[in-house]
Amino acid sequence: MEMQKFSYNNTIVRNFLFAGLIFGLVGMLVGLLVALQLIFPGLSFDLSILGYGRIRALHTNAVIFAFVGNAMFAGIYYSLQRLLKTRLASDFLTNFHFWGWQLIIVAAVITLPLGYTSSKEYAELEWPIDIAIALVWVAFGVNMFWTILRRRERHLYVAIWFYIATFVTVAVLHIVNNIEIPVHFMKSYSAYSGVKDALVQWWYGHNAVAFFLTTPILGLMYYFLPKAANRPIYSYKLSIIHFWALIFIYIWAGPHHLLYTALPDWAQSLGVVFSIMLIFPSWGGMLNGLLTLRGAWDKVKESAVLKFFVVAVTAYGMATFEGPMLSLKNVNAIAHYTDWIPAHVHIGTLGWNGFLIFGMTYWLIPRMYRTKLYSEKLANTHFWIGTLGIVFWALPMYVSGFTQSLMWKQFNPDGTLMYSNFLETVTQLMPMYALRAIGGALYIIGLGFMAVNLIRTIAGGSFEAEESAEAPALAPKYTKHKGEHWHRWIERRPTQLMIGSIIVILIGGIVEIVPTMMVDSNIPKIESVKPYTALELEGRDIYIREGCNACHTQMVRPFRSETVRYGEYSKAGEFVYDFPFLWGSKRTGPDLHRVGGKYPHSWHYQHMWEPTYTSDGSIMPRYPWLFNHDGKVNELNTKYTRKKLEVMRGLGVPYTDTEIENAVSDLMAQAQEIADELNADPDITVSPNEEIIAMIAYLQRLGTDIKVKTEVAQK
Amino acid sequence: MKTQLPTKYFLPILVLIPGMASASPVAEFFYGLFNDMYFWLFLLVAFLLLLAYNAVRMAFNTIERAMRPQAATDEETAEAEVEEEESFFSRWYDKLAGLKPMEKEQDILLDHEYDGIRELDNSLPPWWLYGFYITIIFAVFYMFYYHIGSGKSSVEEYKTEMAEAEKAREAYMAKMDNLVDETNVTLVEDAGRLANGEKIYLQNCAQCHAKDGGGGIGPNLTDDYWIHGNSIEDVFKIIKYGVISKGMQSWKDQINPKNMQDVASYVLSLQGTTPVKPKDPEGEKM
Repeated sequence: MEMQKFSYNNTIVRNFLFAGLIFGLVGMLVGLLVALQLIFPGLSFDLSILGYGRIRALHTNAVIFAFVGNAMFAGIYYSLQRLLKTRLASDFLTNFHFWGWQLIIVAAVITLPLGYTSSKEYAELEWPIDIAIALVWVAFGVNMFWTILRRRERHLYVAIWFYIATFVTVAVLHIVNNIEIPVHFMKSYSAYSGVKDALVQWWYGHNAVAFFLTTPILGLMYYFLPKAANRPIYSYKLSIIHFWALIFIYIWAGPHHLLYTALPDWAQSLGVVFSIMLIFPSWGGMLNGLLTLRGAWDKVKESAVLKFFVVAVTAYGMATFEGPMLSLKNVNAIAHYTDWIPAHVHIGTLGWNGFLIFGMTYWLIPRMYRTKLYSEKLANTHFWIGTLGIVFWALPMYVSGFTQSLMWKQFNPDGTLMYSNFLETVTQLMPMYALRAIGGALYIIGLGFMAVNLIRTIAGGSFEAEESAEAPALAPKYTKHKGEHWHRWIERRPTQLMIGSIIVILIGGIVEIVPTMMVDSNIPKIESVKPYTALELEGRDIYIREGCNACHTQMVRPFRSETVRYGEYSKAGEFVYDFPFLWGSKRTGPDLHRVGGKYPHSWHYQHMWEPTYTSDGSIMPRYPWLFNHDGKVNELNTKYTRKKLEVMRGLGVPYTDTEIENAVSDLMAQAQEIADELNADPDITVSPNEEIIAMIAYLQRLGTDIKVKTEVAQK
Repeated sequence: MKTQLPTKYFLPILVLIPGMASASPVAEFFYGLFNDMYFWLFLLVAFLLLLAYNAVRMAFNTIERAMRPQAATDEETAEAEVEEEESFFSRWYDKLAGLKPMEKEQDILLDHEYDGIRELDNSLPPWWLYGFYITIIFAVFYMFYYHIGSGKSSVEEYKTEMAEAEKAREAYMAKMDNLVDETNVTLVEDAGRLANGEKIYLQNCAQCHAKDGGGGIGPNLTDDYWIHGNSIEDVFKIIKYGVISKGMQSWKDQINPKNMQDVASYVLSLQGTTPVKPKDPEGEKM
């Protein structure tokens, strides 16, 4: 057969890889900053752009989409070309993908600290950026699929199945979760409210972990691990069954983020059982990785690349066992909202994602630069210090999570809470937070070693931008092998494989989401629940802007320890006007769903100005930019208030014409009332235009609608 | 082979640790944790630990073999294999892990290749496959138990928890001389109890009334002016029920009656002290 000559595009691999590592370093430094802010709240320097709630989102977005995202595109483009024996189909799409993705990251770096956020975790970016993400993602998919169609290899290797599943699923998740109605260029409201929004969000959030941080990385493992170990994949059959089982089951597990919340019980139970069923499909990937190293363990001793892979795959195995255990309701009752969850997440991200990417980088760079790694020893040092970093990160947080949970739930025999002041459960954790920050710092130091090593390696080599290769063209006709596995059929039909993946991943989402949207009995109506006033709505948008939901939940679960501490447990019907929902996922501070009416206005005023004034030892940052202060004038922007009410009405909130007409004047009247009450306190001078007034209005409204009902009933 | 020895004790330890835990005070915590699911969870966890143990043992054996000096390897491996054949556990384990000897690898190498990557046709590890089946069976039972059978919903669980806690609280309160209320409360002057009152005050009250009682968000507690009265009964009542309209919350679910008595007495003991930053008087002079 005649050999065809062509070349592999290495430039794009290098570009994505470097972008990933550089943004990774930045993202991790931001992570270190937020970790330190929990110990020294003053590290926000009273600057709004460094507010904890804002830059925590920057950290998560940067490490997920900029670090792992870029590195994964590098690995996909490197392996895809070689597994298909063809060059990437379109240079235009390739470059569009690269520059588009970097622009999106830059947009995120600018907008998140400025407070432009939709508040939904890992989907915080506002609507114009969401559209850009969809376009760039589709460009990636088209480019990949086009390349597949031009392949010189009949069958698709397991890595590519994972890439295809990644592409289709992330596209579906991103689009459905980000359906939002714009108010203006950088502000929108989610199209779903309360329980519905929570379900869609965690269907997305959980599967962003599954299909952005897991399936593509498994694909990379299936290419780079056997290449580096020079060993055959342990079991082809295992690849097949664990691939299909994984993508089918994963999509159902989202509700395990909402156990004991106002989500209907049946959906919670589905989340539990599918999480349990996920253990073995996940472990299939770990087994195929570890058992591929059978007979190559002597190499692991020498090779830093393989060491990184072994720990990555092991961390994957641990995290995918821990996850299902956390999904059992009685374990979840202890772990949810505590530091246990970040510990669990960081085993996955630092261990599985980070280490796999580092191993891949150490393998790729010398090859693309036609040289040897500058120092194997330095790479090994990176490995050990990185591992130590993970241990120091995770262990203190497990201790912290347990401590937190036990303290929250501890009762005196007389029925009162042993730690009735939430702050006691916070100050207790400070040493653990300090250790965690040290762990993070160690991990970043390891990254510094890698930078040195790579720079020296690159200096000693020459980059091969186009790597020449040759392969015979694909024969027009294919004759089946005798006795070939039935799965070979779909491996030579990329379109069917893609359609098959779409069908498989849609089932779980449809079964859970459609009934929750359509069947009214899932969200029993509560008559006394009324829409927010214009001022409260503006206050809510400030709450979203500052990312308060990063540390405060708004979901009192039906536990005695929570109803005694906070008040009546949260009901599904209370959130019907919450576009988007703000249940949160972490209680660094106390739950706020029943905070309305608990304190006087002046308490909130003082607390937001200087949290330690009311709460000695609080680690909440100050929010001086919500006030007129030091000659700086703060004024609530009411330019879009009316528009906001109109958009809300479009979403089904029953605002009347008069309410919309008088939005701003109603807002001013309510603000005046609150300001008058505050000014009665000799320590306070406040103007009704300040943002703090709107914030207080919102906080005082929270969770009070059903209290009204009981008061009325008593009369 | 000596290094194999500890593994024989591993399995009994696996069973013993939870067994011992359940016989100790820790048990109370664990029973609370697992309640009616305890049995199921234990089975599942024990099974999964067994699997994890297998994986670790497998990895360690391979590493150990790899790390042994080459000359000794063949001899020792042969020795180890003989020993392993004799052990029931080892035979059982190999079967469960479904491992094919490395030497027979050529027979199961599939004939396709991608950029130099080959694949073996190893069958699914039996423990993996059966583990998967068990989770599926668990899922079916779970859905059945909670949505058709007698499993409690989250809210039913909550109601039971509250009822049980209330019973336990009443039983406790009946035993204790804790039944102080606004009708029979007396001023406490015992130094120990006043110190207790101070501790509770600093934790709960200082945020609004200042550490020295000088007031802030809430009124000054050191002056002669009182909004709601200055008798021990009055102060006790305010703490117990709050004055919701003025921002004073009710503390009856967070501070027990005896402690409320202590803190009320402590507050009255602040009378006449000089705070750093006293708030202007509110209420009537008494």
